[in-house]
Amino acid sequence: MTDSRKRTLALFYCRNVPESSETHRQAIEKAHSEQIRLFPLPCSGRLEPVHLLRALEEMADAAYLITCPEGVCRYFEGNLRAKRRVERTREMILSIGLEPERVGIVIGSKEVPKTLAQHAAEIFDKISQMGPSPALKRPANETFACEKRRDWL
Amino acid sequence: MITAEQKPMDEIRGMLAPYKRVLALGCGSCVAECAAGGEKETAMLASALRMAARIHDEEVLIHEKTVDRQCVEEFILPLDDMIGEYDAVLSLGCGAGVQAVSEMYQEIPIIPALNTEFLGETKDQGYWVENCLGCGDCMLYYFGGICPLARCSKQILNGPCGGSVDGRCEVNPDIPCAWQLIIDRLTQFGELHRLEEIYPPKNWARKQGSGPRKIIREDQQT
Repeated sequence: MTDSRKRTLALFYCRNVPESSETHRQAIEKAHSEQIRLFPLPCSGRLEPVHLLRALEEMADAAYLITCPEGVCRYFEGNLRAKRRVERTREMILSIGLEPERVGIVIGSKEVPKTLAQHAAEIFDKISQMGPSPALKRPANETFACEKRRDWL
Repeated sequence: MITAEQKPMDEIRGMLAPYKRVLALGCGSCVAECAAGGEKETAMLASALRMAARIHDEEVLIHEKTVDRQCVEEFILPLDDMIGEYDAVLSLGCGAGVQAVSEMYQEIPIIPALNTEFLGETKDQGYWVENCLGCGDCMLYYFGGICPLARCSKQILNGPCGGSVDGRCEVNPDIPCAWQLIIDRLTQFGELHRLEEIYPPKNWARKQGSGPRKIIREDQQT
Protein backbone atom coordinates (compact mmCIF):
# COMPACT_ATOMS: atom_id res chain seq x y z
CA MET A 1 0.00 0.00 0.00
CA THR A 2 1.45 3.36 -0.96
CA ASP A 3 1.41 6.29 1.40
CA SER A 4 -1.01 8.15 -0.90
CA ARG A 5 -3.72 5.60 -0.09
CA LYS A 6 -3.74 6.60 3.55
CA ARG A 7 -5.40 9.94 3.01
CA THR A 8 -8.78 10.60 4.55
CA LEU A 9 -11.54 12.39 2.72
CA ALA A 10 -14.54 14.06 4.36
CA LEU A 11 -17.23 14.10 1.74
CA PHE A 12 -20.40 16.09 2.22
CA TYR A 13 -23.17 15.49 -0.27
CA CYS A 14 -26.68 16.52 -1.11
CA ARG A 15 -29.13 13.66 -0.56
CA ASN A 16 -30.42 14.14 -4.09
CA VAL A 17 -27.18 12.84 -5.58
CA PRO A 18 -28.04 9.51 -7.35
CA GLU A 19 -27.64 6.37 -5.25
CA SER A 20 -26.89 8.19 -2.02
CA SER A 21 -29.14 6.32 0.40
CA GLU A 22 -27.92 5.26 3.83
CA THR A 23 -27.19 1.77 2.48
CA HIS A 24 -25.04 3.26 -0.27
CA ARG A 25 -23.25 5.49 2.20
CA GLN A 26 -22.36 2.57 4.46
CA ALA A 27 -21.21 0.46 1.51
CA ILE A 28 -18.90 3.21 0.21
CA GLU A 29 -17.35 3.84 3.62
CA LYS A 30 -16.81 0.11 4.12
CA ALA A 31 -15.28 -0.33 0.66
CA HIS A 32 -12.76 2.44 1.40
CA SER A 33 -11.90 1.21 4.90
CA GLU A 34 -13.43 4.41 6.25
CA GLN A 35 -10.82 6.55 4.49
CA ILE A 36 -13.84 8.23 2.97
CA ARG A 37 -16.21 9.65 5.59
CA LEU A 38 -19.56 10.59 4.14
CA PHE A 39 -21.86 13.28 5.51
CA PRO A 40 -25.32 13.54 3.95
CA LEU A 41 -27.02 16.93 3.81
CA PRO A 42 -30.69 17.66 3.07
CA CYS A 43 -29.40 20.24 0.57
CA SER A 44 -25.85 21.35 -0.21
CA GLY A 45 -26.97 24.86 0.80
CA ARG A 46 -27.00 23.57 4.39
CA LEU A 47 -23.21 23.38 4.35
CA GLU A 48 -21.35 26.00 6.33
CA PRO A 49 -17.60 26.74 6.09
CA VAL A 50 -17.24 25.58 9.69
CA HIS A 51 -18.26 22.04 8.64
CA LEU A 52 -15.37 21.85 6.20
CA LEU A 53 -12.93 23.45 8.64
CA ARG A 54 -13.87 21.10 11.47
CA ALA A 55 -13.41 18.13 9.16
CA LEU A 56 -9.94 19.36 8.16
CA GLU A 57 -9.04 20.06 11.76
CA GLU A 58 -10.17 16.78 13.23
CA MET A 59 -9.87 13.98 10.72
CA ALA A 60 -9.59 14.75 7.02
CA ASP A 61 -6.75 15.51 4.62
CA ALA A 62 -9.35 17.05 2.33
CA ALA A 63 -13.01 18.03 2.59
CA TYR A 64 -15.26 18.11 -0.46
CA LEU A 65 -18.89 18.71 -1.29
CA ILE A 66 -21.04 17.17 -4.01
CA THR A 67 -24.05 19.19 -5.13
CA CYS A 68 -26.92 18.79 -7.57
CA PRO A 69 -26.39 20.15 -11.08
CA GLU A 70 -26.88 23.90 -11.37
CA GLY A 71 -30.49 24.82 -12.02
CA VAL A 72 -31.98 21.67 -10.53
CA CYS A 73 -31.59 22.34 -6.80
CA ARG A 74 -34.82 21.33 -5.09
CA TYR A 75 -34.52 24.47 -2.98
CA PHE A 76 -33.66 26.62 -6.00
CA GLU A 77 -30.34 28.09 -4.95
CA GLY A 78 -28.83 25.78 -2.32
CA ASN A 79 -26.01 24.66 -4.60
CA LEU A 80 -25.21 28.24 -5.61
CA ARG A 81 -24.86 29.23 -1.96
CA ALA A 82 -22.75 26.17 -1.29
CA LYS A 83 -20.38 27.18 -4.08
CA ARG A 84 -19.74 30.57 -2.46
CA ARG A 85 -19.23 29.01 0.97
CA VAL A 86 -16.71 26.53 -0.40
CA GLU A 87 -14.89 29.44 -2.02
CA ARG A 88 -14.84 31.31 1.30
CA THR A 89 -13.43 28.24 3.04
CA ARG A 90 -10.71 27.91 0.40
CA GLU A 91 -9.71 31.53 1.01
CA MET A 92 -9.62 30.89 4.74
CA ILE A 93 -7.39 27.81 4.56
CA LEU A 94 -5.10 29.58 2.11
CA SER A 95 -4.68 32.35 4.69
CA ILE A 96 -3.30 29.83 7.22
CA GLY A 97 -0.93 28.22 4.74
CA LEU A 98 -2.96 25.18 3.70
CA GLU A 99 -3.40 24.33 0.01
CA PRO A 100 -6.84 25.52 -1.17
CA GLU A 101 -7.21 22.26 -3.13
CA ARG A 102 -7.85 20.50 0.16
CA VAL A 103 -11.36 21.91 -0.03
CA GLY A 104 -13.47 21.55 -3.13
CA ILE A 105 -16.87 21.28 -4.70
CA VAL A 106 -18.09 18.91 -7.37
CA ILE A 107 -21.23 20.01 -9.16
CA GLY A 108 -23.21 17.13 -10.60
CA SER A 109 -23.95 16.95 -14.29
CA LYS A 110 -27.47 16.89 -15.71
CA GLU A 111 -26.32 15.19 -18.91
CA VAL A 112 -24.05 12.55 -17.38
CA PRO A 113 -25.26 11.98 -13.82
CA LYS A 114 -22.87 10.08 -11.57
CA THR A 115 -23.64 8.05 -8.49
CA LEU A 116 -22.30 8.93 -5.07
CA ALA A 117 -19.87 6.00 -5.30
CA GLN A 118 -18.49 7.25 -8.64
CA HIS A 119 -18.05 10.78 -7.33
CA ALA A 120 -16.44 9.51 -4.13
CA ALA A 121 -13.94 7.34 -6.00
CA GLU A 122 -12.97 10.17 -8.37
CA ILE A 123 -12.51 12.73 -5.60
CA PHE A 124 -10.61 10.24 -3.46
CA ASP A 125 -8.23 9.49 -6.35
CA LYS A 126 -7.66 13.22 -6.79
CA ILE A 127 -6.94 13.95 -3.14
CA SER A 128 -4.75 10.88 -2.80
CA GLN A 129 -2.19 12.67 -4.97
CA MET A 130 -1.74 15.29 -2.25
CA GLY A 131 0.61 14.93 0.69
CA PRO A 132 -0.74 14.38 4.20
CA SER A 133 -2.37 17.46 5.65
CA PRO A 134 -0.05 19.40 7.99
CA ALA A 135 -3.19 20.61 9.76
CA LEU A 136 -3.70 17.10 11.17
CA LYS A 137 -0.28 17.07 12.79
CA ARG A 138 -1.57 17.19 16.34
CA PRO A 139 0.96 17.90 19.14
CA ALA A 140 0.90 15.34 21.93
CA ASN A 141 -0.34 17.76 24.58
CA GLU A 142 -2.97 19.50 22.46
CA THR A 143 -6.44 19.41 23.92
CA PHE A 144 -9.71 20.48 22.46
CA ALA A 145 -12.34 21.86 24.72
CA CYS A 146 -15.12 24.08 23.51
CA GLU A 147 -17.45 25.09 26.24
CA LYS A 148 -20.34 24.86 23.84
CA ARG A 149 -19.20 22.27 21.35
CA ARG A 150 -21.98 22.10 18.83
CA ASP A 151 -22.80 19.43 16.42
CA TRP A 152 -22.55 21.69 13.40
CA LEU A 153 -24.59 19.30 11.30
CA MET B 1 -26.63 47.46 14.07
CA ILE B 2 -22.86 47.70 14.40
CA THR B 3 -21.05 46.08 11.49
CA ALA B 4 -17.57 44.60 11.50
CA GLU B 5 -15.24 42.47 9.43
CA GLN B 6 -12.62 39.97 10.47
CA LYS B 7 -9.05 41.24 10.42
CA PRO B 8 -6.58 39.53 8.08
CA MET B 9 -5.36 36.19 9.45
CA ASP B 10 -1.72 37.31 9.47
CA GLU B 11 -2.56 40.31 11.64
CA ILE B 12 -4.51 38.16 14.09
CA ARG B 13 -1.75 35.56 14.28
CA GLY B 14 0.84 38.30 14.76
CA MET B 15 -1.06 39.74 17.73
CA LEU B 16 -1.52 36.28 19.26
CA ALA B 17 2.11 35.24 18.80
CA PRO B 18 3.25 35.79 22.42
CA TYR B 19 0.35 33.83 23.94
CA LYS B 20 0.02 30.09 24.53
CA ARG B 21 -3.49 29.80 25.94
CA VAL B 22 -6.12 31.80 24.11
CA LEU B 23 -9.87 32.09 24.45
CA ALA B 24 -11.64 33.05 21.20
CA LEU B 25 -14.66 34.96 22.44
CA GLY B 26 -17.60 35.54 20.11
CA CYS B 27 -20.52 37.90 20.53
CA GLY B 28 -24.08 36.86 19.70
CA SER B 29 -25.45 40.32 18.92
CA CYS B 30 -24.61 42.79 16.12
CA VAL B 31 -21.45 41.07 14.89
CA ALA B 32 -23.34 37.77 14.70
CA GLU B 33 -25.96 39.47 12.53
CA CYS B 34 -23.30 40.68 10.13
CA ALA B 35 -21.61 37.26 10.13
CA ALA B 36 -18.31 38.53 11.54
CA GLY B 37 -18.15 37.46 15.18
CA GLY B 38 -21.05 35.18 16.10
CA GLU B 39 -20.85 31.59 17.27
CA LYS B 40 -20.27 30.22 13.78
CA GLU B 41 -17.55 32.72 12.91
CA THR B 42 -15.87 32.14 16.27
CA ALA B 43 -15.85 28.40 15.63
CA MET B 44 -14.37 29.00 12.17
CA LEU B 45 -11.65 31.32 13.36
CA ALA B 46 -10.71 29.12 16.32
CA SER B 47 -10.56 26.09 14.06
CA ALA B 48 -8.41 27.93 11.51
CA LEU B 49 -6.06 29.20 14.24
CA ARG B 50 -5.62 25.73 15.71
CA MET B 51 -4.78 24.36 12.27
CA ALA B 52 -2.41 27.26 11.60
CA ALA B 53 -0.62 26.49 14.87
CA ARG B 54 -0.12 22.86 13.85
CA ILE B 55 1.09 23.83 10.38
CA HIS B 56 3.68 26.17 11.90
CA ASP B 57 4.66 23.80 14.73
CA GLU B 58 3.42 26.10 17.45
CA GLU B 59 2.03 24.81 20.70
CA VAL B 60 -1.03 26.88 21.36
CA LEU B 61 -4.23 26.05 23.14
CA ILE B 62 -7.26 27.78 21.66
CA HIS B 63 -10.69 27.38 23.18
CA GLU B 64 -13.85 29.09 22.03
CA LYS B 65 -16.91 30.55 23.64
CA THR B 66 -19.64 32.94 22.58
CA VAL B 67 -21.55 35.21 24.93
CA ASP B 68 -24.83 36.81 23.98
CA ARG B 69 -23.45 40.34 24.23
CA GLN B 70 -19.91 41.48 24.94
CA CYS B 71 -20.80 45.11 25.60
CA VAL B 72 -22.96 44.41 28.68
CA GLU B 73 -21.35 43.45 31.98
CA GLU B 74 -24.03 40.94 32.96
CA PHE B 75 -23.37 38.91 29.83
CA ILE B 76 -19.61 38.91 30.40
CA LEU B 77 -19.79 37.78 34.03
CA PRO B 78 -20.01 34.05 33.20
CA LEU B 79 -16.39 34.32 32.03
CA ASP B 80 -15.32 34.81 35.66
CA ASP B 81 -14.88 31.09 36.23
CA MET B 82 -12.79 30.42 33.17
CA ILE B 83 -10.86 33.58 32.28
CA GLY B 84 -7.96 32.68 34.61
CA GLU B 85 -7.06 29.71 32.41
CA TYR B 86 -5.96 31.94 29.55
CA ASP B 87 -3.03 34.20 28.68
CA ALA B 88 -5.16 36.26 26.28
CA VAL B 89 -8.67 36.64 24.92
CA LEU B 90 -9.24 37.05 21.21
CA SER B 91 -12.45 39.02 21.07
CA LEU B 92 -14.75 38.79 18.07
CA GLY B 93 -16.85 41.61 19.46
CA CYS B 94 -17.04 45.16 18.16
CA GLY B 95 -14.73 47.79 19.61
CA ALA B 96 -17.23 48.41 22.40
CA GLY B 97 -17.28 44.72 23.26
CA VAL B 98 -13.49 44.42 23.28
CA GLN B 99 -13.21 47.35 25.66
CA ALA B 100 -16.03 46.19 27.91
CA VAL B 101 -14.35 42.78 28.35
CA SER B 102 -11.01 44.51 28.81
CA GLU B 103 -12.40 46.69 31.58
CA MET B 104 -13.81 43.64 33.37
CA TYR B 105 -10.58 41.65 33.17
CA GLN B 106 -7.77 44.15 33.36
CA GLU B 107 -5.13 41.53 34.14
CA ILE B 108 -5.47 39.84 30.75
CA PRO B 109 -4.91 41.27 27.25
CA ILE B 110 -8.08 41.41 25.13
CA ILE B 111 -7.12 41.29 21.46
CA PRO B 112 -9.50 42.45 18.72
CA ALA B 113 -10.14 39.97 15.92
CA LEU B 114 -12.45 42.33 14.03
CA ASN B 115 -12.32 45.76 12.49
CA THR B 116 -15.45 47.58 13.61
CA GLU B 117 -16.90 49.36 10.61
CA PHE B 118 -20.13 51.33 10.82
CA LEU B 119 -23.73 51.60 11.96
CA GLY B 120 -25.27 49.49 9.25
CA GLU B 121 -28.58 48.77 7.61
CA THR B 122 -29.07 45.27 6.21
CA LYS B 123 -30.00 45.79 2.56
CA ASP B 124 -29.92 42.13 1.61
CA GLN B 125 -28.35 38.90 2.78
CA GLY B 126 -24.64 39.60 3.10
CA TYR B 127 -25.04 43.26 2.16
CA TRP B 128 -24.83 46.09 4.68
CA VAL B 129 -24.67 49.82 4.07
CA GLU B 130 -23.93 52.87 6.17
CA ASN B 131 -26.93 55.17 6.19
CA CYS B 132 -26.35 56.82 9.57
CA LEU B 133 -23.24 58.40 11.06
CA GLY B 134 -24.68 58.63 14.57
CA CYS B 135 -24.05 62.38 14.57
CA GLY B 136 -26.08 63.02 17.71
CA ASP B 137 -28.31 65.62 16.03
CA CYS B 138 -30.64 63.86 13.59
CA MET B 139 -31.78 65.98 10.62
CA LEU B 140 -33.63 63.29 8.70
CA TYR B 141 -36.91 65.18 9.01
CA TYR B 142 -35.59 68.10 6.98
CA PHE B 143 -34.22 65.87 4.23
CA GLY B 144 -37.14 63.54 3.60
CA GLY B 145 -35.60 60.67 5.57
CA ILE B 146 -32.37 60.60 3.54
CA CYS B 147 -29.22 61.58 5.43
CA PRO B 148 -26.92 63.75 3.31
CA LEU B 149 -24.10 63.34 5.81
CA ALA B 150 -24.02 59.56 5.54
CA ARG B 151 -25.15 59.11 1.96
CA CYS B 152 -23.75 62.08 0.04
CA SER B 153 -20.08 61.59 -0.86
CA LYS B 154 -19.48 65.30 -0.26
CA GLN B 155 -21.56 65.40 2.94
CA ILE B 156 -23.18 68.66 1.90
CA LEU B 157 -26.14 69.98 3.88
CA ASN B 158 -27.15 72.50 1.22
CA GLY B 159 -27.22 70.51 -1.98
CA PRO B 160 -27.34 69.29 -4.60
CA CYS B 161 -23.80 69.87 -5.85
CA GLY B 162 -24.95 69.66 -9.46
CA GLY B 163 -22.49 66.96 -10.46
CA SER B 164 -24.73 63.90 -10.49
CA VAL B 165 -25.46 62.11 -13.75
CA ASP B 166 -28.71 60.19 -14.24
CA GLY B 167 -29.26 60.21 -10.50
CA ARG B 168 -25.86 58.66 -9.76
CA CYS B 169 -23.14 60.27 -7.63
CA GLU B 170 -20.28 61.83 -9.60
CA VAL B 171 -17.75 60.81 -6.95
CA ASN B 172 -18.90 57.21 -6.76
CA PRO B 173 -21.27 56.18 -9.57
CA ASP B 174 -22.04 52.96 -7.70
CA ILE B 175 -24.29 54.88 -5.33
CA PRO B 176 -27.38 56.98 -6.03
CA CYS B 177 -27.04 60.74 -5.57
CA ALA B 178 -28.34 61.34 -2.04
CA TRP B 179 -29.57 64.79 -3.05
CA GLN B 180 -31.53 63.36 -5.96
CA LEU B 181 -33.18 61.00 -3.46
CA ILE B 182 -33.87 63.88 -1.06
CA ILE B 183 -35.48 66.01 -3.75
CA ASP B 184 -37.56 63.08 -5.03
CA ARG B 185 -38.81 62.29 -1.54
CA LEU B 186 -39.62 65.88 -0.57
CA THR B 187 -41.39 66.38 -3.92
CA GLN B 188 -43.43 63.25 -3.26
CA PHE B 189 -44.61 64.66 0.08
CA GLY B 190 -45.06 68.23 -1.25
CA GLU B 191 -42.36 69.43 1.15
CA LEU B 192 -39.71 70.68 -1.26
CA HIS B 193 -39.90 74.12 0.35
CA ARG B 194 -37.90 72.73 3.29
CA LEU B 195 -34.84 73.10 1.11
CA GLU B 196 -35.33 76.85 0.88
CA GLU B 197 -33.78 77.06 4.31
CA ILE B 198 -30.00 77.39 4.46
CA TYR B 199 -28.61 74.90 6.94
CA PRO B 200 -25.57 76.10 8.88
CA PRO B 201 -22.45 73.96 9.19
CA LYS B 202 -23.03 70.90 11.30
CA ASN B 203 -22.08 71.10 14.96
CA TRP B 204 -19.81 68.08 15.12
CA ALA B 205 -19.17 68.61 18.83
CA ARG B 206 -22.21 66.41 19.39
CA LYS B 207 -20.46 63.53 17.66
CA GLN B 208 -16.79 63.87 18.51
CA GLY B 209 -14.14 66.24 19.79
CA SER B 210 -15.50 66.40 23.34
CA GLY B 211 -14.32 63.00 24.51
CA PRO B 212 -16.43 59.85 24.50
CA ARG B 213 -20.13 60.49 24.34
CA LYS B 214 -22.43 59.10 26.98
CA ILE B 215 -26.11 58.87 27.70
CA ILE B 216 -27.27 58.93 31.29
CA ARG B 217 -30.89 58.06 32.02
CA GLU B 218 -31.60 58.22 35.71
CA ASP B 219 -35.04 56.69 35.26
CA GLN B 220 -33.34 53.57 33.90
CA GLN B 221 -30.81 53.31 36.67
CA THR B 222 -31.11 51.28 39.85
